[in-house]
Amino acid sequence: MSGTGHLADDHPDPTATPRTTSAVVVGAGLAGLTAAAGLAAHGIEVTVLEARDRVGGRMHGLQVAPGGWVDAGAAYLGERHTELLALMADLGLKTTPTTMLGASRFALGAEDAIRDGRFPPLNAVALGDMFELLDELTAAVRPDAPWLTPDAERLDTTTAAAWADRHLTHPDARLFFPLFLGEMMAADPADVSVLHMAFYLRSGGGIRYLNAFEGGAQQDRVAGGAHLVCERLAERLGARVRLGAQVTAVHQDGDGVTVHAAGGPYRADVAVMAVPPLLADAVEFRPAPPVGRAGERTARGCAVKVNLVYPAPLWREHGLSGWSVNAEGPLLSTVDDSPAEGGVGVLTGFVTGSEAHRFAALDPERRRAAAVAQAARLFPMLPEPIGFHVTDWVNEPYSRGCYAALFGPGDWLGNGPTLTVPHGRVHWAGTETSTEFFGLMEGAVRSGHRVVAEISAR
Amino acid sequence: MSVDTTGATAGAPAGPGAPDGPGSGAEAVAAIFRRVLESSDVTADSDFFELGGDSLIATRVLSAIARNHGVELSFEDFLLAPTPEGLARAIEAAR
Repeated sequence: MSGTGHLADDHPDPTATPRTTSAVVVGAGLAGLTAAAGLAAHGIEVTVLEARDRVGGRMHGLQVAPGGWVDAGAAYLGERHTELLALMADLGLKTTPTTMLGASRFALGAEDAIRDGRFPPLNAVALGDMFELLDELTAAVRPDAPWLTPDAERLDTTTAAAWADRHLTHPDARLFFPLFLGEMMAADPADVSVLHMAFYLRSGGGIRYLNAFEGGAQQDRVAGGAHLVCERLAERLGARVRLGAQVTAVHQDGDGVTVHAAGGPYRADVAVMAVPPLLADAVEFRPAPPVGRAGERTARGCAVKVNLVYPAPLWREHGLSGWSVNAEGPLLSTVDDSPAEGGVGVLTGFVTGSEAHRFAALDPERRRAAAVAQAARLFPMLPEPIGFHVTDWVNEPYSRGCYAALFGPGDWLGNGPTLTVPHGRVHWAGTETSTEFFGLMEGAVRSGHRVVAEISAR
Repeated sequence: MSVDTTGATAGAPAGPGAPDGPGSGAEAVAAIFRRVLESSDVTADSDFFELGGDSLIATRVLSAIARNHGVELSFEDFLLAPTPEGLARAIEAAR
């Protein structure tokens, strides 16, 4: 990250005179910028401190053609994402539908197939048995307070991997389960508790809504790229947003809070921590919060996104949608992400779960060779790509994972009850603090609105 | 903060272990449709996909049919007859 190049030393300089402001927001991702814009709209003086040299956090656009952008991070939204849609309307941004016309490609073991629709060539009853069990877990969870779910203690101490081992007997279900969990929540089943899996699926609107493109959580993209939401918010905030300002410490006293950042300290009435839990816990708090933001088993969301750029979406000419599901990596699924503006064809590959760690550890040449070769096996009409981008969210120092933090065994019972409880003058935002649409852009926006309500009620 | 985003409170969702209604034939399949679609608006000739069903929850119908009727239908069987009466005929034919 070039944003770290000119940072001051990590130790707060107590002799520097702090700049004063009413509220400091730490993190210029969607949650922090939503919070800051809301505070500014309430007439509260606000400063946003961002470690990177850009805004957007886990939302990041890559230009792949003149005027054509693809999402290297968060991308999709659906009709239930009402607060994001309202924010986009306010910012003058539109949605563009995710087109999914044509047949799907499946490489699932012995069955190498092209099929209409998105249903894989696996035993339907076995997958149905699995989805029935998952639906039962999902329906039983307390979405507003997962730690109060009946039998929460058992569900919180069991990993999804152990659950699958016990309950999924058919080989097709055992093959598909980790692919499904990777796709839905960028999780290796060994990393999440059953409670977190059930909560995540429920929070996002249930298995069907979270899985679906049309009529579901992947119905649309942001026209021009999801990063525009953050860039427009940042334009509105202007000089209130400070880049290259990594926060290392947050000290409170009776009169206010001092936020120590690269470039000098800020003194404010309140602070909003709008960073993922693993990053929040890397900040020194005085006094320390009674409970950390992450637990011992909280893991990084395991997603690496690969964007392969071709002269055109050539698969469409062959009746293929670009959608594929694959038992072998690195690309466990692919989707047509071609910009609506045209110009190029973009095939986006998702590398999730344990495969993300394996892929991220390869050197850039091997990553490229593996991904390009797999794309050509799946779609033999494809030439050598004209552009190739890998975004390794797992090892991003200022994200530490994507889509969202993975709550492992013990996390929901240990950290859940204080998820949104202010620590004195410090308020908590970020998609991981939203029990509604946790892990999604919508969750980030809702968390931003919540802290604005908390602070304006102080 | 406690908005139910799933709509699951309408018609308490029955778990996989719960029976999907009495009888056999089209009415029994219609009861499965109602449960997985979380909708009461199902008749013998309702098309699953027109009611908002998709391939993922279609597999849940096939799972329930296998559990309740001892018949394993394929996804293709489902696509050929995605109504309660169509699936009831497929169940009979497979016996």
